[in-house]
Amino acid sequence: MNRFKKTEKPAIRILRTLVSKGFLLVAVFFCIILQAQVETVTGQITDAETGEPLLGVNILEKGTANGVASDFDGNYSIEVGSSDAVLVFSFLGYETTEVVVGSQTKIDLLLGLAANQLDEFVVVAYGKKKKRNLTGSVVSVGGEDIEQTNLQDPVSILQGRAAGVQVISNSGAPGGGMTIRVRGNSSLNSGNSPLYVVDGVPIESSSLSSLNGTENFGLNPLADINPNDIESIEILKDAASTAIYGSRAANGVVMITTKRGKEGKGVLNVNFTSGVSQITRKLSVLNASQYRQVIIDSYRNMDNPVEPNWTVIDSLNPKNNGDVDWQEELLRVAPQYKVDLAVQGGSENAKYSWSSSFLNQDGIILNSNYKRVTSRVNIDFNVSDKLTVGQSLSYTNGTNSRINAGGSGNLSVVRELLIRPPSYAMYLPDGSLNGYQFGKRNPVGLAEQATHLNKSNRIIGNQYAEYQFLEGLKLRSNLNLDYLSMKEDEFLPSTLDYREGYNSGAVRAINNLTWGNETYLSFDKTLNEKHNLGALLGMSFQEWKYERTGLDGMFFPSDNIRTLNAAGTISNQDVNITTEHSLLSYFGRLSYDYMGKYLLELNLRADGSSRFGEDKRFGYFPSASIGWRFSDEKFLQGQNVLADGKLRFSAGQTGNEAIGNYTSQGEFLVGTNYLGYSGASPSVMPNSGLTWETTTQFNAGIDLAFLNNRIVFNADAYLKETDDLLYNVPIPRTTGFSYITQNIGSIENKGLEFLLVTKNLVGDFKWDTNLNISLNRNKVTDLPDELLTNGYIQNGQYHILQEGLPIGTFYGWKFEGVYASDEDNVNGITNGALGSVFKGGDPIWNDLNGDNIIDEDDRQVIGDAQPDFFGGIANNFSYKNFSLNVFFQFSYGNDIYSEINHQRNSVVRYNNLSTDALNRWRQQGDVTDFPKPVRDDPMQSDSRIQSRWVEDGSYLKLKNVNLRYRFPNRLIEPFGLSNLDVFVTASNLITWTKYTGFDPDVNSYSGLRSGVDEGSYPQSRTIMTGLNFQF
Amino acid sequence: MKKIKNIITVLSIALVFSCSKDILDKEPQSGFSAQGFYKTSSDAQAGVYGIYDAVQSTFSLNFSFWGEGRADAVNTNHSGDPLLLQQNTLNKTMNSARWNSLYETISRANYAIKYVPEVFEEGNEFGLQLVGQARALRALSYFYAVRIWGDVPLVLEPYESIDQELFIGKTAKEEVLEQIVADLKFAAQNCRESFGGERDRLLITRGGANGLLTQVYMWQKNYEAAIASAQSVLGNSLYSLVSINDWSKIFTTGFSNESIFEIGYDDTQTNNLRILYAIGSDSHYFPSEGFRASFEEGDLRQDLIYDVTEEEPRKIWKFFGQGFDDESADPSSQNIVMLRLADIMLLKAEAHNKLGQTAQALDLLNTIRSRAGLVEIDEAEAISTYSDVESAILHERSIELSFEGHRWFDLVRTQKAIEVMGPINGLSDEANLVWPLHEDALNRNPNLEQNGFY
Repeated sequence: MNRFKKTEKPAIRILRTLVSKGFLLVAVFFCIILQAQVETVTGQITDAETGEPLLGVNILEKGTANGVASDFDGNYSIEVGSSDAVLVFSFLGYETTEVVVGSQTKIDLLLGLAANQLDEFVVVAYGKKKKRNLTGSVVSVGGEDIEQTNLQDPVSILQGRAAGVQVISNSGAPGGGMTIRVRGNSSLNSGNSPLYVVDGVPIESSSLSSLNGTENFGLNPLADINPNDIESIEILKDAASTAIYGSRAANGVVMITTKRGKEGKGVLNVNFTSGVSQITRKLSVLNASQYRQVIIDSYRNMDNPVEPNWTVIDSLNPKNNGDVDWQEELLRVAPQYKVDLAVQGGSENAKYSWSSSFLNQDGIILNSNYKRVTSRVNIDFNVSDKLTVGQSLSYTNGTNSRINAGGSGNLSVVRELLIRPPSYAMYLPDGSLNGYQFGKRNPVGLAEQATHLNKSNRIIGNQYAEYQFLEGLKLRSNLNLDYLSMKEDEFLPSTLDYREGYNSGAVRAINNLTWGNETYLSFDKTLNEKHNLGALLGMSFQEWKYERTGLDGMFFPSDNIRTLNAAGTISNQDVNITTEHSLLSYFGRLSYDYMGKYLLELNLRADGSSRFGEDKRFGYFPSASIGWRFSDEKFLQGQNVLADGKLRFSAGQTGNEAIGNYTSQGEFLVGTNYLGYSGASPSVMPNSGLTWETTTQFNAGIDLAFLNNRIVFNADAYLKETDDLLYNVPIPRTTGFSYITQNIGSIENKGLEFLLVTKNLVGDFKWDTNLNISLNRNKVTDLPDELLTNGYIQNGQYHILQEGLPIGTFYGWKFEGVYASDEDNVNGITNGALGSVFKGGDPIWNDLNGDNIIDEDDRQVIGDAQPDFFGGIANNFSYKNFSLNVFFQFSYGNDIYSEINHQRNSVVRYNNLSTDALNRWRQQGDVTDFPKPVRDDPMQSDSRIQSRWVEDGSYLKLKNVNLRYRFPNRLIEPFGLSNLDVFVTASNLITWTKYTGFDPDVNSYSGLRSGVDEGSYPQSRTIMTGLNFQF
Repeated sequence: MKKIKNIITVLSIALVFSCSKDILDKEPQSGFSAQGFYKTSSDAQAGVYGIYDAVQSTFSLNFSFWGEGRADAVNTNHSGDPLLLQQNTLNKTMNSARWNSLYETISRANYAIKYVPEVFEEGNEFGLQLVGQARALRALSYFYAVRIWGDVPLVLEPYESIDQELFIGKTAKEEVLEQIVADLKFAAQNCRESFGGERDRLLITRGGANGLLTQVYMWQKNYEAAIASAQSVLGNSLYSLVSINDWSKIFTTGFSNESIFEIGYDDTQTNNLRILYAIGSDSHYFPSEGFRASFEEGDLRQDLIYDVTEEEPRKIWKFFGQGFDDESADPSSQNIVMLRLADIMLLKAEAHNKLGQTAQALDLLNTIRSRAGLVEIDEAEAISTYSDVESAILHERSIELSFEGHRWFDLVRTQKAIEVMGPINGLSDEANLVWPLHEDALNRNPNLEQNGFY
C-alpha cells in the first residue's frame, strides 16, 4: 500500500503541471488507469500430494525482480504491477508453476512434486529416457504396483495393468505358463511372445519343459524372477521403441529392471507373507445313479439298441460301486508362504543391493507344490571418475512338483476332476487303491503316487564396464548370460496299471545357455542450452546353445526305485540333442530435441541370424519418430489447465526370426527306429530362401496432463502390418512332408490404447485412479491362393485362418437346439448325403446352404477368441496410515471354445456329465437344448466342432485387493525400525462372467489356437497376510 | 587413465572386427541337414530302417480299416471309421481316407532309392539289398494306395527343394501297378535271400518281394506270373506251414515259419490290435453273425479266432490267444503279419483255378483245409457246397486269413464285393469300391479331383 501512495503523488503532480498539453494528458490518463489496477494477491501454497502447507516457496512476478516467499503456514502476499502479471511459483523439488493473475486477488495453489511421472526416467533400449521426452510408445509398470499384488512372477503382474498388453493364463498351477501379447498376434508361426530383457540380458522365455508333452501346459520361464526384486517393468510397443532390437522385436520388448543400491545408509528390508488358495468355484456333475442312467439311456437311444456295457454301469462290481465326488477328493485349500530379505545401500563409489527369497506354494490340486529360492546381487563401483563397473547376478532354484494337468490322454488329472465317472470306486474291497479301470488311471493315485518333478537352476548375469571419455561421451560394454539347467523326472507306478509290474519312468535333462556381448558408444550434448543431441552406436553378438538328454524306461523291479538305472527296458532314447543359434548385430540411434519442444529420434539395426538361408542372412530395421510438445508453445502459456501436452508420431520396421534353428537347411531326424534298429528319416523339407518376418508399424500418440498433473491422459493409435509371415505352409502330403516353412501372407493389427491416471482426492484422504483400456483388431490380410482351396486354412482342430478374419476364429457347425420330436424335422434333413434323417432328440444343425444335408459345407464361423477390448482399473485409497488398493481386470467380447465342456457331456467316452444332462431329451415332445445321448454317436452329435461349446468369455474380475497399515514412526522407532507395514492381499476374489467352466481366464494352447479351454489347471482365489519390516 | 582408455578402445575395435560372419553358420549337431545325411553305409542302413518305421505307423490301425472295415466278417458298434466303413457311408473327413502315412513311407523310400547308391560303389551287393528293400516298401505302399483310391499321384523322387512340382495330379492305376511290379521285380532280384533269425520276417527278403509280387499279379489278373512268383515262395526253404497247434502263435508270438513278412512292434513301438479286436466288451470289431455261421463243422480254427461260448461275442482273440480277456484300451505289441505262406498258397490255388488247373488248385486248398481239421474236398463237393471252386477258395481265405486285412481286397479282386456287401449295407456302385480322397488332400492340392462316386 505504501508503494501505491508514493507513486500516486508524483503522478498527480505531473498531471497538474502538464494539464494544458492535451496529448500528454491522454497518454498519462492511460497510465493512470493501468496504475490504478495494481493490487495485492494473497493465497496459500500446499503440497498437492499431502495437502501440507509449504514454507519458503518463491513467488516471483515474471519478468521483474518483484518477489516474496511463503511463510510457515504456506501463506503469501504479493503486490503485482498489473493484471497481465504472471506469478511464477517455484520451490526446490517441486514443479515450477506459472499463474496469470488476471482479476484474481487470492490464488491458492497446490504444488506438485517435480519428480512427478512426466519427469521420471523410463528404461528404453540401451539406456534411459525422460518420460516427458518419449516419442515412442512405452508403458511402464512400477514397483508399487508389484508390491500390492501377491503374484509370484512378473508376467502375471502385467495382466490388466499395461495398455496394449494382453496376458492370459495357460494354467493356474504354481509356476504355470502364461500367454502374453503386445498389440495382438503378429505372427502365424506362434512366435508371438515379446522379447524379454532383464537388466540388459535378453533371456530365454519359452517353456523348456520337455516332459508332459506339449507346450500347452508348460512352465512359465519368467517365474524364475522374483517380483520383489523388480524396480520397474517397461513394455516397448511401437517400432520407434523396439526397432533397435531388430529381428526379435516385432512382438514388443519387455524390459525388466531390478532394484539397485543407492547412496546412503544401508536399509534392511524383511517381508513375510503367508496365505491360502482355494478353487474359485466347483462345477456340478452327476452322481453315480444319475450317471448310470445316462449310460443306459445312451444304449437305448441307439438305432439298433444293444445291451449296455454292464461292466461300466454294474453297481455290484466292487470296482464300480462308488459314488465319488472327484472334485472333493482332488481339490484342497492350499497354503503358501514367502520370505524376502533385501539389503540396499552404498557409498559414493560403491553401491549394493542384495536380496534373497524363499517361496513355498502348494497348488489347489492334491500334491502339487512349487518351491523357489532366489538370490540376487546387484553392485556398481566407480573405479575412477571415468570408469564405472558393475554386475547383476541372480540365481534361482526351482522345484516344481507337478501333476499331470493337461492333454487329452488318460493321464490328465484336471480333466478327470470333472469327467471321471462317479461310480468308479476309489478303493477296492481289500482297501487298496483302485488304480486303473477301463483304461483310466485313478487321478488321486496319479496325484499321490506318480512322480512328475521339475527341478531347475538358473543364473542370469550381466557384467558391465562404462568408460566416460569426455563429458557426454561414454563407452559401455557388457557381457551377459542366461544359463538354465533343468531336470525332469516322471514315474508311473505299477499300482496305476492293470498289468503286473508294468511301470514306466522318464527323465529329461536340459542345459540351455545364451550369452552375448553388447558394446556401444553413446554421446549426449546440449548446445546453447537449447539443442539437445544424442547418438548411440553399437554392436552385439548373441549365441544360444540348447542341449537335451533323456531316457524313457519301463519294467522297474519296484515302484520305490524310480531312477532310470532300475528300468528293465530302456524304451526310448532322447539322447544328447544339441542345437545352436547365433545372432550378430549392429545398431545406432540419433536423437535431437529443441528445448524439449520439438523432438526427433532415428534408429537402425542390422541383424544377421544363423537361422536364415545364406543369401538372406542380414536384415535392416529402421525407425523414426517425432514429438511436439505443444504445451510449450507461446499460445498455451499463461494458463494453468494444461500442464503438459505432447503429440507423438512414429514409424518403423521390426522383425521376427522365431523359427527352428535349422529349418532353412532342412533336417534329417535320427531316432525313427524300427524295433532295435536305428533309423533316420527326412523330417523338414529345406527352404534356402527363408527369412524373417517384417512388421511395419505406425503409431500416433498424445500425452496430456491437466491441473498440475492431477489428470494424466495418454492415448495411442497404431497400425501394425506384418508381411512375409513365417508359416508352415501345408503342402500335398504326397511330398512326404506335411508342410514347408515359407515366408507368405500378411496380418494386420490395429488398435487404440488409453491410459487415464487421476488424483481424485488429495489431502488426508487420498484417492487415485488408474484406468487403461486397449482395443486391438486383428485381421489376416493375405494368404497365398494355393492354400485357399476352401477359402480358408484349417488351423488345428477348432480354428481357421481366412483373409479378413482374425486369428482365433472358431469354425464348425452351428447348434440351434434339439428336435423335440421326429416330426419337427419337417425338411427331412439328413446327416450327410447318404446318412440318416435327424430325429427327435438329435441336435438341430444350421443348414447353411439349405440343401437339407448336414455336411462339411455347413460349417461356418462360430466364434472369435479375440476380445473387443480389455484392460484394468486400479483405485488406490489412503487415509493417514491406511492404504487400500482395489484392482479390477476385464476382458470383453472374446469367445471360449470349451473343449472341457464337450468332454463333460461326452457319453461316447463314458465320461461323467454336467448336471445339464438332467435336462436331456428323453422322449418325443421333450423341449430342451440338451440332445439325447447315443452310445455310438451315429449322427455325430458329439464329434462335431460345434457352437454348442462356444461360450462368451467376457469377464470382470476383482483381481487384487490390498489393504495395508503403516505403523507411525513414533511407535516403531524405539525398536530400531524405520518402517513397519502389515497387510492383507487377496487375489481373484470375485469374477463376473457367463462362462460355465472353472475360469474365463484360460488358454490351453499358447500358440495360434487361442481361446480353447481343454481343462487347464484351474485358477485359484488366494488370500494372504504379510508383514514388512525395514531397519 | 589414458592406459585404460587405450585398452578399451583397442578391445572394442578388436571385438567389432573379430566377429566375422562365420559365427552365423550353424550346422545341425544332433541331426543332419537334408542333403547332408547319406554319407556312410550305416547312414544308408539307417535311412532304410527309417522306412520301416513309417510302415509301422501306417498299418498299426489301418491294415484293418482298409482290409476288413468294409467287408462282411466284422461288425461294429463304434462311431467314426468303423461304422462309416461298415455302413458304407464313407466320407472325405474319415481317418482311413488319409494317405499321409503311405506317402511318408514313399518319401523316405524315395530318399533312400536316390541316395543309397551314392554311398556305395556301383554294383555293391549291400547297397543293392538296401535299395531293394526301399523299392519293395515303396511298392507295398503304392499297392495299398491303388487298391484304396484307384488312381493316385505317383511320386518317385524325393522332395528336396521348393522349386520341385509340389502339386502333382493323379496317375492311372494301371501305370502305378506297372511301377509296383518293376519295384518288386528289382527287390526280388536284389534283396537278401535271408538274414537268419527274426529279421527274415521283419525285413523284406527275396521271398517277401515274391510274395508281394504274387498279390500284385493277382490284382492285375496276371495268373501265370502270379503262379511263378508264388512258386518261388513255396520253394523257399524259409517258409513252411505250421501245425494247427502252433497256428495261434503265428500272431501271438510272431516269427513263425509260415510268416513271410510281418511288421514288428514292441512295448514302445506299439499298434492298435487290442483296440481293434480285443477290448473285452468294447473293441472296434467283433465277428459278424455271417462270419460265425460260415464255419464248416469241425473247423479247428473257430475257437482260436473268437470265444464260441459267448452268444454275442464282443471281441476277437485270434491275435492274442485263446481265452484272452482284458478291458484295457492300451496299445499292443504283437507283430502284424502282412504276408504268410497260407495266403500265397491260396492265391496260387486261385490262379490255377482261373487257368483251368483245378487239380492243382484243389491240392493247395486241401492242404490248408487239412491243417484246420477239415476233410479234403473234390471239385464236385466244392461246387455243391460253395457253388464253384473259386468260391471255395475265397471262403477258405475268409476263415484262414480272417481279420488279417485281406477280406475286402479279396472281395474287390474277385468282383464279389457288391454281391456280398450289397445286402448288408447297400453297396451297389462299382465306383463306390474306392475310398474318397480325404478333404485335407484336396485342400492341399488343387490339382487333385475327388473320386467320381464321392
